Amino acid sequence: MRMANFRSSYGARRLALGVFLLVLLAFFLLPHQLQTMFQGLGGPVGWVLSWPLRMVASVEDGIGSTWHRYLALQGVEDENRRLRKEIEQLEGQNSQLREAASATERLTALLEFKAQALPNMVAAQVIGRNTDNWYRTIILNKGTSDGIRPDMGVITSAGVVGRVVKATLATSVVLLVSDPNNAIAGLIQRTRDEGIVEGTKEGLARLKYIPLLSNVRSGDRVVTSGLVGGFPRGLAIGTITRIDKEEGALFQLAEVRPEVDVTRVEEVLVIQSPYVAEEEPLGDGLPAVKGKP
Amino acid sequence: MRVGVYILMIVSLVVLHATLLPYVSVWDVKPDVGLVVVCFVGLLAGELEGLLVGLLLGWAMSLFSAGDLAVSLAVKGGAGFLAGLAGRHMAQVTPVVLVCGLLVVSTAGGLVTLWAANLSEQQDIWWALQTIILPQACFDAVIGGIGYWLLWSRFHLDRLAMEPEL
Repeated sequence: MRMANFRSSYGARRLALGVFLLVLLAFFLLPHQLQTMFQGLGGPVGWVLSWPLRMVASVEDGIGSTWHRYLALQGVEDENRRLRKEIEQLEGQNSQLREAASATERLTALLEFKAQALPNMVAAQVIGRNTDNWYRTIILNKGTSDGIRPDMGVITSAGVVGRVVKATLATSVVLLVSDPNNAIAGLIQRTRDEGIVEGTKEGLARLKYIPLLSNVRSGDRVVTSGLVGGFPRGLAIGTITRIDKEEGALFQLAEVRPEVDVTRVEEVLVIQSPYVAEEEPLGDGLPAVKGKP
Repeated sequence: MRVGVYILMIVSLVVLHATLLPYVSVWDVKPDVGLVVVCFVGLLAGELEGLLVGLLLGWAMSLFSAGDLAVSLAVKGGAGFLAGLAGRHMAQVTPVVLVCGLLVVSTAGGLVTLWAANLSEQQDIWWALQTIILPQACFDAVIGGIGYWLLWSRFHLDRLAMEPEL
Protein backbone atom coordinates (compact mmCIF):
# COMPACT_ATOMS: atom_id res chain seq x y z
CA MET A 1 0.00 0.00 0.00
CA ARG A 2 1.52 3.30 -1.09
CA MET A 3 0.56 6.90 -0.57
CA ALA A 4 -0.59 8.78 -3.66
CA ASN A 5 0.25 12.34 -4.66
CA PHE A 6 -1.30 15.19 -2.67
CA ARG A 7 1.09 17.99 -3.53
CA SER A 8 -0.59 19.85 -6.37
CA SER A 9 -2.46 22.90 -5.21
CA TYR A 10 -6.03 23.69 -6.23
CA GLY A 11 -4.68 26.52 -8.47
CA ALA A 12 -2.38 24.15 -10.32
CA ARG A 13 -5.25 21.76 -10.92
CA ARG A 14 -7.42 24.52 -12.33
CA LEU A 15 -4.53 25.76 -14.47
CA ALA A 16 -3.95 22.24 -15.82
CA LEU A 17 -7.60 21.82 -16.66
CA GLY A 18 -7.62 25.22 -18.36
CA VAL A 19 -4.52 24.44 -20.42
CA PHE A 20 -5.91 21.06 -21.47
CA LEU A 21 -9.25 22.52 -22.53
CA LEU A 22 -7.51 25.38 -24.32
CA VAL A 23 -5.33 22.97 -26.32
CA LEU A 24 -8.33 20.84 -27.25
CA LEU A 25 -10.38 23.88 -28.24
CA ALA A 26 -7.53 25.38 -30.26
CA PHE A 27 -7.05 22.15 -32.23
CA PHE A 28 -10.78 21.91 -32.78
CA LEU A 29 -11.06 25.48 -34.10
CA LEU A 30 -7.76 25.88 -35.97
CA PRO A 31 -6.51 22.39 -36.77
CA HIS A 32 -4.54 23.17 -39.93
CA GLN A 33 -2.91 26.36 -38.66
CA LEU A 34 -1.80 24.73 -35.40
CA GLN A 35 -0.51 21.61 -37.19
CA THR A 36 1.58 23.85 -39.45
CA MET A 37 2.82 25.95 -36.52
CA PHE A 38 3.81 22.97 -34.38
CA GLN A 39 5.42 21.22 -37.36
CA GLY A 40 7.44 24.40 -38.00
CA LEU A 41 8.46 24.63 -34.35
CA GLY A 42 9.32 20.96 -34.47
CA GLY A 43 12.03 21.53 -37.11
CA PRO A 44 14.81 22.45 -34.66
CA VAL A 45 13.48 19.97 -32.08
CA GLY A 46 13.64 17.24 -34.71
CA TRP A 47 17.22 18.27 -35.49
CA VAL A 48 18.19 18.01 -31.81
CA LEU A 49 16.41 14.67 -31.41
CA SER A 50 17.97 13.31 -34.60
CA TRP A 51 21.42 13.21 -32.93
CA PRO A 52 20.63 10.63 -30.26
CA LEU A 53 18.66 8.73 -32.90
CA ARG A 54 21.67 8.70 -35.23
CA MET A 55 23.97 7.66 -32.38
CA VAL A 56 21.76 4.75 -31.37
CA ALA A 57 21.30 3.77 -35.04
CA SER A 58 25.06 3.77 -35.62
CA VAL A 59 25.63 1.67 -32.46
CA GLU A 60 22.95 -0.70 -33.72
CA ASP A 61 24.66 -0.83 -37.14
CA GLY A 62 28.01 -1.43 -35.45
CA ILE A 63 26.65 -4.34 -33.44
CA GLY A 64 24.93 -5.72 -36.54
CA SER A 65 28.05 -5.46 -38.69
CA THR A 66 30.21 -7.03 -35.94
CA TRP A 67 27.77 -9.89 -35.83
CA HIS A 68 27.76 -10.34 -39.59
CA ARG A 69 31.52 -9.92 -40.03
CA TYR A 70 32.95 -11.90 -37.15
CA LEU A 71 30.32 -14.16 -35.70
CA ALA A 72 28.20 -15.28 -38.59
CA LEU A 73 30.94 -16.39 -41.00
CA GLN A 74 29.50 -19.84 -41.65
CA GLY A 75 29.11 -20.41 -45.36
CA VAL A 76 30.62 -17.06 -46.29
CA GLU A 77 33.28 -18.63 -48.53
CA ASP A 78 30.68 -20.53 -50.57
CA GLU A 79 28.51 -17.44 -50.75
CA ASN A 80 31.50 -15.38 -51.85
CA ARG A 81 32.29 -17.81 -54.68
CA ARG A 82 28.67 -17.79 -55.79
CA LEU A 83 28.48 -14.02 -55.68
CA ARG A 84 31.69 -13.68 -57.74
CA LYS A 85 30.12 -15.84 -60.43
CA GLU A 86 26.99 -13.73 -60.27
CA ILE A 87 29.05 -10.54 -60.60
CA GLU A 88 30.72 -11.87 -63.73
CA GLN A 89 27.36 -12.69 -65.25
CA LEU A 90 25.90 -9.36 -64.19
CA GLU A 91 28.86 -7.45 -65.62
CA GLY A 92 28.12 -9.02 -68.98
CA GLN A 93 24.45 -8.16 -68.65
CA ASN A 94 25.34 -4.68 -67.45
CA SER A 95 27.25 -3.79 -70.59
CA GLN A 96 24.34 -5.00 -72.74
CA LEU A 97 21.90 -3.04 -70.62
CA ARG A 98 24.03 0.09 -70.90
CA GLU A 99 23.74 -0.16 -74.63
CA ALA A 100 20.02 -0.66 -74.33
CA ALA A 101 19.78 2.20 -71.82
CA SER A 102 21.66 4.48 -74.16
CA ALA A 103 19.25 3.65 -76.99
CA THR A 104 16.29 4.03 -74.64
CA GLU A 105 17.55 7.43 -73.53
CA ARG A 106 17.71 8.68 -77.08
CA LEU A 107 14.26 7.36 -77.84
CA THR A 108 12.86 8.72 -74.59
CA ALA A 109 14.29 12.13 -75.38
CA LEU A 110 12.64 11.93 -78.75
CA LEU A 111 9.35 11.15 -77.13
CA GLU A 112 9.85 13.95 -74.60
CA PHE A 113 9.66 11.54 -71.70
CA LYS A 114 13.29 11.98 -70.78
CA ALA A 115 12.57 14.04 -67.72
CA GLN A 116 10.12 11.53 -66.35
CA ALA A 117 12.56 8.62 -66.56
CA LEU A 118 15.43 10.27 -64.69
CA PRO A 119 14.36 11.72 -61.36
CA ASN A 120 16.45 13.75 -58.92
CA MET A 121 17.18 11.69 -55.84
CA VAL A 122 18.80 12.08 -52.45
CA ALA A 123 20.26 9.12 -50.53
CA ALA A 124 19.24 8.64 -46.90
CA GLN A 125 19.78 6.16 -44.10
CA VAL A 126 17.11 4.59 -41.91
CA ILE A 127 17.68 5.66 -38.28
CA GLY A 128 14.42 4.53 -36.71
CA ARG A 129 11.19 2.64 -37.21
CA ASN A 130 7.51 3.05 -36.38
CA THR A 131 7.12 4.85 -33.05
CA ASP A 132 3.55 3.62 -32.56
CA ASN A 133 1.45 0.57 -33.42
CA TRP A 134 -0.89 2.36 -35.82
CA TYR A 135 1.35 3.11 -38.77
CA ARG A 136 4.18 1.26 -40.52
CA THR A 137 6.88 3.86 -40.92
CA ILE A 138 10.63 4.38 -41.06
CA ILE A 139 12.59 7.46 -39.96
CA LEU A 140 15.29 8.83 -42.29
CA ASN A 141 18.38 10.88 -41.39
CA LYS A 142 17.57 13.54 -44.01
CA GLY A 143 15.01 16.32 -43.68
CA THR A 144 13.90 19.68 -45.06
CA SER A 145 17.48 21.02 -44.96
CA ASP A 146 18.34 18.36 -47.57
CA GLY A 147 15.38 19.29 -49.73
CA ILE A 148 13.01 16.57 -48.54
CA ARG A 149 9.33 17.48 -48.43
CA PRO A 150 6.12 15.57 -47.66
CA ASP A 151 4.68 13.45 -50.50
CA MET A 152 8.07 12.65 -52.05
CA GLY A 153 8.50 9.04 -53.12
CA VAL A 154 11.05 6.76 -51.43
CA ILE A 155 12.68 3.81 -53.22
CA THR A 156 15.59 1.37 -53.13
CA SER A 157 17.25 -0.23 -56.12
CA ALA A 158 14.71 -3.06 -55.76
CA GLY A 159 11.60 -0.89 -55.90
CA VAL A 160 9.16 1.34 -54.05
CA VAL A 161 9.48 1.70 -50.25
CA GLY A 162 6.84 4.35 -49.49
CA ARG A 163 6.38 8.09 -49.39
CA VAL A 164 7.42 10.91 -47.05
CA VAL A 165 4.59 12.09 -44.79
CA LYS A 166 6.44 14.39 -42.37
CA ALA A 167 9.78 16.16 -42.35
CA THR A 168 11.74 18.15 -39.78
CA LEU A 169 15.06 19.93 -40.41
CA ALA A 170 17.14 16.76 -40.15
CA THR A 171 14.72 13.84 -40.23
CA SER A 172 11.74 12.63 -42.20
CA VAL A 173 9.04 10.02 -41.67
CA VAL A 174 8.20 7.60 -44.49
CA LEU A 175 4.86 5.78 -44.61
CA LEU A 176 5.67 2.33 -45.98
CA VAL A 177 4.02 0.79 -49.04
CA SER A 178 2.68 -1.99 -46.77
CA ASP A 179 0.69 0.44 -44.58
CA PRO A 180 -3.10 0.39 -45.17
CA ASN A 181 -3.15 4.21 -45.09
CA ASN A 182 -0.77 4.48 -48.05
CA ALA A 183 -1.97 4.64 -51.65
CA ILE A 184 0.20 4.67 -54.79
CA ALA A 185 -0.93 4.75 -58.41
CA GLY A 186 0.10 1.39 -59.92
CA LEU A 187 0.14 -0.32 -63.29
CA ILE A 188 0.22 -4.03 -64.21
CA GLN A 189 3.27 -4.24 -66.43
CA ARG A 190 1.98 -7.01 -68.74
CA THR A 191 -1.65 -5.94 -69.23
CA ARG A 192 -1.15 -2.15 -68.77
CA ASP A 193 -4.17 -1.99 -66.48
CA GLU A 194 -4.01 0.76 -63.89
CA GLY A 195 -5.13 0.73 -60.28
CA ILE A 196 -4.34 1.92 -56.77
CA VAL A 197 -1.86 0.02 -54.61
CA GLU A 198 -2.50 0.22 -50.89
CA GLY A 199 -1.06 -1.66 -47.93
CA THR A 200 -2.89 -4.34 -46.00
CA LYS A 201 -3.30 -5.18 -42.33
CA GLU A 202 -1.07 -8.22 -42.87
CA GLY A 203 1.88 -6.11 -44.04
CA LEU A 204 1.47 -6.90 -47.75
CA ALA A 205 -0.18 -4.74 -50.43
CA ARG A 206 -3.16 -4.97 -52.76
CA LEU A 207 -4.02 -3.52 -56.13
CA LYS A 208 -7.55 -2.12 -56.29
CA TYR A 209 -9.76 -1.11 -59.23
CA ILE A 210 -8.45 -3.61 -61.81
CA PRO A 211 -11.01 -3.72 -64.67
CA LEU A 212 -13.17 -6.86 -64.73
CA LEU A 213 -12.13 -7.65 -68.29
CA SER A 214 -8.43 -7.59 -67.46
CA ASN A 215 -6.67 -10.96 -67.84
CA VAL A 216 -4.37 -10.27 -64.88
CA ARG A 217 -2.83 -13.38 -63.29
CA SER A 218 -0.55 -14.42 -60.46
CA GLY A 219 3.07 -13.55 -61.10
CA ASP A 220 2.32 -10.33 -62.97
CA ARG A 221 4.52 -7.44 -61.90
CA VAL A 222 3.06 -4.17 -60.67
CA VAL A 223 4.96 -0.92 -61.29
CA THR A 224 4.27 2.74 -60.59
CA SER A 225 2.08 4.39 -63.19
CA GLY A 226 3.60 7.85 -62.73
CA LEU A 227 0.20 9.49 -62.98
CA VAL A 228 0.03 10.96 -59.49
CA GLY A 229 2.31 11.13 -56.45
CA GLY A 230 6.04 11.44 -56.19
CA PHE A 231 7.02 8.48 -58.39
CA PRO A 232 8.01 8.35 -62.04
CA ARG A 233 6.51 5.61 -64.23
CA GLY A 234 7.96 2.10 -64.16
CA LEU A 235 9.36 1.60 -60.63
CA ALA A 236 8.74 -1.90 -59.28
CA ILE A 237 6.11 -2.11 -56.54
CA GLY A 238 5.57 -5.85 -56.26
CA THR A 239 4.33 -9.11 -57.74
CA ILE A 240 0.72 -10.27 -57.82
CA THR A 241 0.23 -13.40 -55.73
CA ARG A 242 -3.57 -13.80 -55.76
CA ILE A 243 -6.59 -12.43 -57.61
CA ASP A 244 -9.97 -11.85 -55.93
CA LYS A 245 -12.84 -11.72 -58.41
CA GLU A 246 -16.07 -11.38 -56.45
CA GLU A 247 -19.50 -12.06 -57.92
CA GLY A 248 -21.18 -8.80 -58.87
CA ALA A 249 -18.14 -6.65 -58.13
CA LEU A 250 -17.25 -3.84 -60.51
CA PHE A 251 -13.51 -4.40 -60.25
CA GLN A 252 -10.99 -7.13 -59.49
CA LEU A 253 -8.69 -7.01 -56.51
CA ALA A 254 -5.17 -8.45 -56.47
CA GLU A 255 -2.90 -9.26 -53.54
CA VAL A 256 0.60 -7.93 -54.14
CA ARG A 257 3.83 -9.02 -52.47
CA PRO A 258 5.99 -5.87 -52.22
CA GLU A 259 9.29 -6.08 -54.09
CA VAL A 260 11.19 -4.49 -51.19
CA ASP A 261 11.34 -6.17 -47.80
CA VAL A 262 10.41 -3.00 -45.94
CA THR A 263 11.16 -4.51 -42.54
CA ARG A 264 14.86 -4.81 -43.40
CA VAL A 265 15.52 -1.74 -45.51
CA GLU A 266 18.54 0.29 -44.30
CA GLU A 267 19.35 2.78 -47.06
CA VAL A 268 16.90 4.45 -49.41
CA LEU A 269 16.65 7.06 -52.16
CA VAL A 270 14.17 9.90 -51.85
CA ILE A 271 12.82 11.13 -55.17
CA GLN A 272 12.93 14.89 -54.89
CA SER A 273 11.30 15.46 -58.23
CA PRO A 274 10.10 12.79 -60.63
CA TYR A 275 10.34 15.36 -63.40
CA VAL A 276 13.81 16.83 -64.03
CA ALA A 277 13.94 20.36 -65.40
CA GLU A 278 14.81 20.62 -69.09
CA GLU A 279 18.04 22.56 -68.59
CA GLU A 280 19.46 20.23 -65.90
CA PRO A 281 22.41 18.11 -67.13
CA LEU A 282 21.64 14.39 -67.15
CA GLY A 283 25.25 13.10 -66.92
CA ASP A 284 25.91 9.61 -68.20
CA GLY A 285 22.36 8.50 -68.12
CA LEU A 286 22.23 7.50 -64.46
CA PRO A 287 19.88 9.15 -61.98
CA ALA A 288 21.33 12.22 -60.24
CA VAL A 289 21.97 11.22 -56.61
CA LYS A 290 22.68 14.12 -54.27
CA GLY A 291 24.80 13.20 -51.24
CA LYS A 292 25.28 9.91 -49.47
CA PRO A 293 23.98 8.66 -46.16
CA MET B 1 16.61 20.74 -12.38
CA ARG B 2 13.25 19.10 -12.76
CA VAL B 3 12.76 20.62 -16.23
CA GLY B 4 16.11 19.15 -17.26
CA VAL B 5 15.07 15.74 -15.99
CA TYR B 6 11.82 15.95 -17.94
CA ILE B 7 13.60 17.01 -21.17
CA LEU B 8 16.12 14.18 -20.80
CA MET B 9 13.25 11.79 -20.16
CA ILE B 10 11.37 12.94 -23.29
CA VAL B 11 14.48 12.64 -25.49
CA SER B 12 15.19 9.15 -24.10
CA LEU B 13 11.60 8.05 -24.68
CA VAL B 14 11.57 9.24 -28.30
CA VAL B 15 14.84 7.41 -28.99
CA LEU B 16 13.59 4.31 -27.16
CA HIS B 17 10.38 4.24 -29.18
CA ALA B 18 12.08 4.80 -32.54
CA THR B 19 15.04 2.47 -32.19
CA LEU B 20 14.79 -0.19 -29.50
CA LEU B 21 11.08 -0.90 -28.95
CA PRO B 22 10.48 -2.29 -32.48
CA TYR B 23 12.79 -5.17 -31.44
CA VAL B 24 10.77 -6.06 -28.34
CA SER B 25 7.38 -6.08 -30.05
CA VAL B 26 5.20 -9.13 -29.50
CA TRP B 27 2.94 -10.05 -32.44
CA ASP B 28 3.93 -6.73 -33.98
CA VAL B 29 2.61 -4.79 -30.99
CA LYS B 30 4.89 -2.83 -28.71
CA PRO B 31 4.14 -1.02 -25.45
CA ASP B 32 3.61 2.72 -25.27
CA VAL B 33 6.26 3.37 -22.65
CA GLY B 34 5.73 7.11 -23.08
CA LEU B 35 2.12 6.80 -21.93
CA VAL B 36 3.16 4.78 -18.87
CA VAL B 37 5.85 7.32 -17.94
CA VAL B 38 3.43 10.23 -18.37
CA CYS B 39 0.98 8.47 -16.05
CA PHE B 40 3.72 8.06 -13.45
CA VAL B 41 4.63 11.76 -13.75
CA GLY B 42 0.98 12.72 -13.28
CA LEU B 43 0.61 10.39 -10.33
CA LEU B 44 3.75 11.62 -8.60
CA ALA B 45 3.86 15.29 -9.53
CA GLY B 46 0.23 16.26 -10.08
CA GLU B 47 -2.08 17.22 -12.94
CA LEU B 48 -0.21 20.23 -14.26
CA GLU B 49 3.15 18.53 -14.64
CA GLY B 50 1.51 15.36 -15.94
CA LEU B 51 -0.34 17.40 -18.53
CA LEU B 52 2.66 19.49 -19.61
CA VAL B 53 5.02 16.51 -19.84
CA GLY B 54 2.32 14.60 -21.73
CA LEU B 55 1.81 17.44 -24.20
CA LEU B 56 5.56 17.84 -24.77
CA LEU B 57 6.09 14.11 -25.20
CA GLY B 58 3.07 13.83 -27.51
CA TRP B 59 4.45 16.65 -29.65
CA ALA B 60 8.00 15.24 -29.77
CA MET B 61 6.75 11.75 -30.64
CA SER B 62 4.39 13.01 -33.32
CA LEU B 63 7.40 14.53 -35.14
CA PHE B 64 8.65 10.98 -35.74
CA SER B 65 5.33 9.33 -36.42
CA ALA B 66 2.85 9.37 -39.29
CA GLY B 67 0.10 10.01 -36.73
CA ASP B 68 -1.89 13.17 -36.20
CA LEU B 69 -0.36 15.77 -33.87
CA ALA B 70 -3.65 16.71 -32.18
CA VAL B 71 -4.41 13.06 -31.35
CA SER B 72 -0.95 12.52 -29.92
CA LEU B 73 -1.23 15.68 -27.79
CA ALA B 74 -4.72 14.81 -26.57
CA VAL B 75 -3.86 11.20 -25.66
CA LYS B 76 -0.56 11.84 -23.89
CA GLY B 77 -1.65 15.13 -22.28
CA GLY B 78 -4.99 13.66 -21.23
CA ALA B 79 -3.29 10.60 -19.70
CA GLY B 80 -0.96 12.79 -17.64
CA PHE B 81 -3.84 14.97 -16.49
CA LEU B 82 -6.06 12.01 -15.58
CA ALA B 83 -3.22 10.31 -13.71
CA GLY B 84 -2.73 13.52 -11.72
CA LEU B 85 -6.43 13.65 -10.87
CA ALA B 86 -6.39 9.99 -9.88
CA GLY B 87 -3.36 10.55 -7.68
CA ARG B 88 -5.17 13.39 -5.91
CA HIS B 89 -8.40 11.52 -5.30
CA MET B 90 -6.96 8.21 -4.19
CA ALA B 91 -5.48 7.95 -0.74
CA GLN B 92 -3.46 4.89 -1.64
CA VAL B 93 -2.25 3.46 -4.91
CA THR B 94 -1.91 -0.32 -4.89
CA PRO B 95 -0.29 -2.33 -7.69
CA VAL B 96 -3.70 -3.70 -8.71
CA VAL B 97 -5.19 -0.20 -8.96
CA LEU B 98 -2.22 1.05 -10.95
CA VAL B 99 -2.26 -1.86 -13.41
CA CYS B 100 -6.05 -1.60 -13.88
CA GLY B 101 -5.79 2.17 -14.26
CA LEU B 102 -3.13 1.80 -16.94
CA LEU B 103 -5.27 -0.79 -18.74
CA VAL B 104 -8.19 1.65 -18.81
CA VAL B 105 -6.12 4.71 -19.80
CA SER B 106 -4.26 2.84 -22.56
CA THR B 107 -7.49 1.36 -23.94
CA ALA B 108 -9.16 4.77 -23.87
CA GLY B 109 -6.14 6.30 -25.62
CA GLY B 110 -6.29 3.61 -28.30
CA LEU B 111 -10.00 4.18 -28.87
CA VAL B 112 -9.49 7.95 -29.12
CA THR B 113 -6.72 7.40 -31.66
CA LEU B 114 -8.90 5.03 -33.70
CA TRP B 115 -11.82 7.47 -33.61
CA ALA B 116 -9.88 10.64 -34.34
CA ALA B 117 -7.06 9.56 -36.65
CA ASN B 118 -9.22 8.84 -39.71
CA LEU B 119 -7.48 5.52 -40.44
CA SER B 120 -7.96 3.25 -43.44
CA GLU B 121 -11.31 1.44 -43.89
CA GLN B 122 -9.42 -1.85 -43.36
CA GLN B 123 -8.60 -0.83 -39.77
CA ASP B 124 -12.05 -1.28 -38.25
CA ILE B 125 -12.79 -1.21 -34.54
CA TRP B 126 -12.83 -4.99 -33.94
CA TRP B 127 -9.58 -5.52 -35.76
CA ALA B 128 -8.05 -2.58 -33.87
CA LEU B 129 -9.29 -3.87 -30.50
CA GLN B 130 -7.97 -7.37 -31.09
CA THR B 131 -4.65 -6.58 -32.69
CA ILE B 132 -3.56 -3.22 -31.31
CA ILE B 133 -5.60 -1.63 -28.53
CA LEU B 134 -6.06 -4.49 -26.04
CA PRO B 135 -2.64 -6.14 -26.54
CA GLN B 136 -0.98 -2.76 -26.17
CA ALA B 137 -3.04 -1.98 -23.07
CA CYS B 138 -1.95 -5.29 -21.49
CA PHE B 139 1.64 -4.58 -22.46
CA ASP B 140 1.41 -1.08 -20.95
CA ALA B 141 -0.10 -2.46 -17.74
CA VAL B 142 2.73 -4.99 -17.39
CA ILE B 143 5.34 -2.29 -18.01
CA GLY B 144 3.52 -0.09 -15.47
CA GLY B 145 3.53 -2.91 -12.92
CA ILE B 146 7.26 -3.40 -13.38
CA GLY B 147 7.76 0.35 -13.16
CA TYR B 148 5.73 0.47 -9.95
CA TRP B 149 7.80 -2.29 -8.41
CA LEU B 150 11.03 -0.53 -9.42
CA LEU B 151 10.00 2.94 -8.31
CA TRP B 152 8.26 2.18 -5.07
CA SER B 153 10.06 -0.90 -3.85
CA ARG B 154 13.57 0.11 -4.87
CA PHE B 155 13.56 3.90 -4.72
CA HIS B 156 10.85 4.54 -2.08
CA LEU B 157 9.18 7.23 -4.15
CA ASP B 158 6.16 7.35 -1.85
CA ARG B 159 8.34 9.08 0.70
CA LEU B 160 9.78 11.45 -1.91
CA ALA B 161 6.34 12.29 -3.24
CA MET B 162 5.29 13.70 0.12
CA GLU B 163 8.33 15.99 0.30
CA PRO B 164 8.26 19.52 -1.18
CA GLU B 165 10.88 18.78 -3.89
CA LEU B 166 11.15 15.58 -5.88
